Amino acid sequence: MADSRFTNGKTLGTGIGLRVPHYEHILREKPAVDWFEIISENYMVAGGRPLAVLDAIMDQYQVVMHGVGLYPGNSDGLDMDHLRRLKKLVKRTDTPWISDHLCWGSVDGSVSHDLLPLPFTFEVARKTAANLKIAQDFLEIPLAMENVSSYAEFAMDEMTEWQFLAEVCELADVGILLDVNNIYVSSVNHDFDPMEYVNFIPSERVAQIHIAGHSRYERFIIDTHDHPVIDPVWHLYARAMERCGPTATLLEWDASIPSFDEVWQEAKKSEQWRKQNATENQPGGDDAAA
Amino acid sequence: MPRKINREVTMPPPEPWQQDFFRALTMPLRGASRRATELNPVAEGHSAEFFAIAGKWIKPGASLSEAERLELYHRQYWYRVLDSLAEDFPVLRRMAGDELFWELIEQYLLGRPSRSFTLRHLGEEFAGFLEQSPLLDERQRTWFRALAAIEYAQMESFEALQCALPTPGDLEKKMIGLQEHLRLITIPVPAHLCYEWKNFSMAEHSPAEKVCIAVWRHASGRSERMCVEPDEAEFLIGFRNGVFLKEFFETLPEPHPEPEKLSQWFAAWQSRGWLGLPGEAGQQLLDEAFEWQGKHAMSSQAMPMC
Repeated sequence: MADSRFTNGKTLGTGIGLRVPHYEHILREKPAVDWFEIISENYMVAGGRPLAVLDAIMDQYQVVMHGVGLYPGNSDGLDMDHLRRLKKLVKRTDTPWISDHLCWGSVDGSVSHDLLPLPFTFEVARKTAANLKIAQDFLEIPLAMENVSSYAEFAMDEMTEWQFLAEVCELADVGILLDVNNIYVSSVNHDFDPMEYVNFIPSERVAQIHIAGHSRYERFIIDTHDHPVIDPVWHLYARAMERCGPTATLLEWDASIPSFDEVWQEAKKSEQWRKQNATENQPGGDDAAA
Repeated sequence: MPRKINREVTMPPPEPWQQDFFRALTMPLRGASRRATELNPVAEGHSAEFFAIAGKWIKPGASLSEAERLELYHRQYWYRVLDSLAEDFPVLRRMAGDELFWELIEQYLLGRPSRSFTLRHLGEEFAGFLEQSPLLDERQRTWFRALAAIEYAQMESFEALQCALPTPGDLEKKMIGLQEHLRLITIPVPAHLCYEWKNFSMAEHSPAEKVCIAVWRHASGRSERMCVEPDEAEFLIGFRNGVFLKEFFETLPEPHPEPEKLSQWFAAWQSRGWLGLPGEAGQQLLDEAFEWQGKHAMSSQAMPMC
């Protein structure tokens, strides 16, 4: 189980990403969802409907902030204005932790709006960790880094992706948002064993887990979040739960978004995998047993 | 004004691998990537520089070459920014026609990558770009620039601050200003008419005339636009920095409109929610019955990339 300093002592069950097509259903029906994850940048506005919806949702639900624009791997540093906007939203949402992606995304102020891959070198790990320390100190809230799906590797890599993720998070002393779908996507694109990745991760740092679907092409996979979760990803999830114990779990569905009920049913499958896991592995995860 | 990234602490310049990677991302769509609508990468059509960057930094994989791997990111970049910008200018797209519109937004983005944390701001300088574009004739430049200004004002209005609405009692005692979501733009042609047109040929029959357009957000959050008479617009602008009404009306320069007309304007502004109490936070209401689409639905900022 994650050390409480990475979760602010908050225990959450199953959640889904808060998405525009579901606003009306959620506000009207108030479904029994444990929590919603919001894309931080969608609510970094001065006013209007986004914040009105967010406030209405927060009357009923716990929300957790998940960003796409921190870019801790930017070698020219963090955007302090972005950190200020994040902090303002942190105060509004009372999020127990905040997550973003272990990636880079902009150069000299020009923004890619993508989650770009980092070279897995010790120097990049050190610089990225330095940025994350600044961010976490400034935000005054636990920060978790998500592993991204990737489609390219760098010639200068000095370690595996899982070693890099652990190195950065330990250097910066931040948590991990483990996206098991992203692990699967990258494992196919880069030809590695995804279970080795899951087995290596420092489980005490895993504050949250993401599950999602993807699109398979002939020669690669793209992380599109537009399909149900496939069985190999559920198996990675089960193993992650076995290692990490009860961990906040969130289903992402961002394109071709079906009805709320369909998304929620897919997310709730994670509870079956957790129950199955708990039954098979009493009293706890392998790390606890060890 | 283009946005600037604030780093405050002096930081080293970007690493060469980041500069090269980003330069490759923003290179023009060429060859197969230009014609494609899906992500299957083909290296055909790229410049020697693109191949050089891929060869220098990217490791080839079992099923994709280094250039094909970089091309996946290149396509994703372009598809995301083009789709996002297109979504924010739907009326301009209809007036320009698809072929010209996509050419325009691609040219605009080639010269002006995003400078904001959000895709919503991509169109910030689009109107100014259209005014100069050699792809357009004079009539198109005038109308398209005006239309783009209205459509971007809608985006700005969508996310602007909501101040408290003044009560009748407040009108006597407090400073009254304009809501930040009320945008007043003056354009040289009645481009707001384009919203009702099926195509741009209608512009041939419309006279050029200076018009003031007010774009604002309803209390429910959805935006609207209307034409405002020049003398009314001039009065409205007087409220921009906040005024005490008694003082304002006592010091009106001559000639000024009849009191009855002023009173009608004022009542209309108040009923549309254009007036606000500067510095006092207001409550944004939710209109759950309204069918939210396009920029109303914030879709341009929620392109999946997690």
